[in-house]
Amino acid sequence: MSSRLEADHLYKVFGRRQDEAVERLRRGADREELRADDTTAAVIDASFTVDPGQIFVVMGLSGSGKSTLLRMLNGLLEPTAGRVLFDGDDLTALGSRELREVRARKISMVFQHFALFPHRSVLDNAGYGLAVQGVPRAEREQRATEALRLCGLAGWEKSWPDELSGGMQQRVGLARALATDADLLLMDESFSALDPLIRRDMQDQLLTLQQTLKKTIVFITHDLNEAMRLGDRIAVMRDGRIVQNGTAEDILVRPADDYVASFIKDVDRSRVLTASAVMDTDLRGDEADCDCATATPDTPFTELCAISARLTHPVAVLDARRELVGVVPRRRLVGFLGDEHGEPTACGDPRDEGKVTARA
Amino acid sequence: MPRLHLGDWVDSGVDWLVTHMSWLFDAIKTVVEGMYDGIDALLTAPEPLLLAGIFAVLAWWLRGLVAGVLGFAGFALIDSLDLWEEAMSTLSLVLVATVIALVISVPLGIWAARSKAVSATLRPVLDLLQTMPSMVLLIPAILFFGMGVPAGVIATLIFALAPGVRMTELGIRQVDPELVEAAEAFGTTPRDTLLRVQLPLALPTIMAGVNQVIMLGLSMVVIAGMVGTGGLGGSVNEAIGRLDIGLGFEAGLGIVVLAIYLDRMTGALGTRISPLGRRAAAKVRPTVWSHRPRPAVAVVGVVVLALAAGGMGVFGSNSGTAEASATDVGKGKEITIGYIPWDEGIASTYLWKELLEKRGFEVKTTQYAVAPLYTGLATGQIDFQTDSWLPTTHAEYWKKYGEQLDDLGKWYGPTSLELSVPSYMKDVNTLADLKARPAEFGGRITGIEPSAGMMGLLKDKVVKEYGLDGYRVVDGSTPAMLAELKRAYAKKDPIVVTLWSPHWAYSEYDLKKLKDPQGAWGAGDGVHTLSRKGFAADNPEVGAWLKDFSMTEQQLTGLEAQIQKSGKGKEQDAVRTWLKDNPGLLDRWAPVDGAGAKSRAAG
Repeated sequence: MSSRLEADHLYKVFGRRQDEAVERLRRGADREELRADDTTAAVIDASFTVDPGQIFVVMGLSGSGKSTLLRMLNGLLEPTAGRVLFDGDDLTALGSRELREVRARKISMVFQHFALFPHRSVLDNAGYGLAVQGVPRAEREQRATEALRLCGLAGWEKSWPDELSGGMQQRVGLARALATDADLLLMDESFSALDPLIRRDMQDQLLTLQQTLKKTIVFITHDLNEAMRLGDRIAVMRDGRIVQNGTAEDILVRPADDYVASFIKDVDRSRVLTASAVMDTDLRGDEADCDCATATPDTPFTELCAISARLTHPVAVLDARRELVGVVPRRRLVGFLGDEHGEPTACGDPRDEGKVTARA
Repeated sequence: MPRLHLGDWVDSGVDWLVTHMSWLFDAIKTVVEGMYDGIDALLTAPEPLLLAGIFAVLAWWLRGLVAGVLGFAGFALIDSLDLWEEAMSTLSLVLVATVIALVISVPLGIWAARSKAVSATLRPVLDLLQTMPSMVLLIPAILFFGMGVPAGVIATLIFALAPGVRMTELGIRQVDPELVEAAEAFGTTPRDTLLRVQLPLALPTIMAGVNQVIMLGLSMVVIAGMVGTGGLGGSVNEAIGRLDIGLGFEAGLGIVVLAIYLDRMTGALGTRISPLGRRAAAKVRPTVWSHRPRPAVAVVGVVVLALAAGGMGVFGSNSGTAEASATDVGKGKEITIGYIPWDEGIASTYLWKELLEKRGFEVKTTQYAVAPLYTGLATGQIDFQTDSWLPTTHAEYWKKYGEQLDDLGKWYGPTSLELSVPSYMKDVNTLADLKARPAEFGGRITGIEPSAGMMGLLKDKVVKEYGLDGYRVVDGSTPAMLAELKRAYAKKDPIVVTLWSPHWAYSEYDLKKLKDPQGAWGAGDGVHTLSRKGFAADNPEVGAWLKDFSMTEQQLTGLEAQIQKSGKGKEQDAVRTWLKDNPGLLDRWAPVDGAGAKSRAAG
């Protein structure tokens, strides 16, 4: 199946002698060497593909090059080397006029600090992209109103951006991006400036909307929890390079290097892991033969714990055809939560075991 | 250090421009004059109070009732001070300069905001324009554009350009980069980004720049008045020249009224037209005093008043038609006289204005500083002037411009230059007496404009010959010198000033001219009439009259006294009165065949 968006060995270098810098990077030079020459390598050899309807999260700390990467995807920044393929078209080969056309119709963007136009009403802000496209006023207002309703802002059309709370302003930003019916949504740390509670709400709302809209989304964040919550796939960036690209589970269970591993220490595993990541696939075959509750590979970790608490034996995991694919013993759940995968060591004092059981 | 001949290069550069680019300057001049004349005609057409009403309605609409009432009061005050025409002329000048300044500065500011290179290049140029002393720019402006409104507008414009550019650039640069990026991310063209996002958001700052442009323009009108733009600036200069504090204050007050009105109106306009400002204004709870009519009401009000004004302009005007007779030598031909606001200059200029108008000429008189006067005469902007002190005092100017001028002869003389002390300085009678007493006089000789010929003489010759090295010659201005004299005289303090005869100060105060036994001041000058090259050939009668013209000391002082008595603005009335008291002078100075009999018959 063809991907919607593909980044093909993208480089972005700021400063002097950019082409030469790219050559040196290809030969294995690192960022620090280039910085000595007043050249900044913001993005180094970034490649990935995003499938239609996928939320692709790029995660990294500030300065890791993630925002620069995002801006190359819609041509706001021109890559120093490499290509961006969107629906098979090479965006880097387009002239500025065609590129504007693509941005106006097919790719829209949501910003970190909302970037609402203070001199336009909420309705006019939501309809901005349509105005750029030249959509007649009546249709524009109708579509903008609809986009605002989708984002939970029905009735606020006549308000002004500065009258809204941060969360509501970002909903306007989201409505503005959705109103154009663009296939690709670029979201640049869009929820980072919001309070934690509001951020949760917005994440939920985005996921809910995504279930019906099925947009392709590239989402930038520095918050791994957010990345895990939203991302179908996550790319972790460090110093301009993508160090790991995989699902949330891949990253959590099989971190590519110590850097990624240090990141996931703070992650609330119970929110990310599902039965498929935790289960033991070394089966006897009869684990699901009782009438007890079972799980599916997608069952979240917390729910798994709840089931496990009600059972005296390991939880059986059945796939869509009700066939046994794995079991989750309680000890495994505890071990994943504590990031401890080894076998327990025997203990000489039998009271110890009793204590733990009593507590559980 | 080798001497860098920068000045010479500038000189030759200016000369080259004058000879080779005159078509360009003429084109600019035509445009500027056209705009000025149009606006001025519009502003002076209606009855002053009606126009004041229009201004008041505008103020009411933009700011509220209080502003409207105060605006009307301010303009009514200007009218009651008899400064209406001057004020409207100044307003026109400022408006023209502002419009041109904005047409240039806003695009430049936009350009500078988009390109660092342009911004870096513009900055020192703007600094130069803003800080270069305006008189330095004024003289080349006269060479390029001639005396009068265009030179004044250009000088004002150059001075006022910088804030327009700077504030536009600042305003655009201040727009949140994320907003610009958002516009680009939605595929907005650069042009639309500018028009729909950057300019609307920069508007409050740009309007502050417009406001600054207008304010700086107004602050320049006094200086522009020196090159004959007239208006309130001219009145201020004239008042300063004569130490007429009252008139100076009145004209200054007129400028203040205009400044406040324009400042408040542009400020309010900024709020009106910027979307953000409109919202902020809408949030304020209205009171009776801040009540503003709807735009439609304001427009109707202005239109009604304008129609009334137009109607009265059409029906109310009764411009007298010139009567043709044998004495009508000029047949409406226009003659321009320039003058320096010295008493003998004012007296002789208004005398000739009256004489020539009696002979059917249209005469325009304009006041200048000395240097612009000679420049204007040399470039043919002015037909003649009656106040050249030759061969000594104005020798420098004659040396520079003599070849481009015609000397129509001396009409009064001899004059004298001198240092004078109040007569209560009993022991000081000659220049030599000064030498021993620098301490008593505080080591100061109170001088006049450094550009005046006599200041050069004083510093180069008199001080040397009499060994007055213990003194510092203080440059200043004639009004400042006279004010200093008045102050010292009242307190009976010692003072020594530069003066010349004839001068009204000698009748006002009891002064002693210090004797000059060594003749350091040179022989007395004659007061000459100078004309532009070829004026006498173009106007043979007038040329002949001016060549034959002469006044006795008694006539001149009598006329000066009459003018002094009548007060400012009534110079020509004073001349008429004086001519009535001295019958026969008209026909003697401006003889026409059989004119005597006919004019008596007409009278």
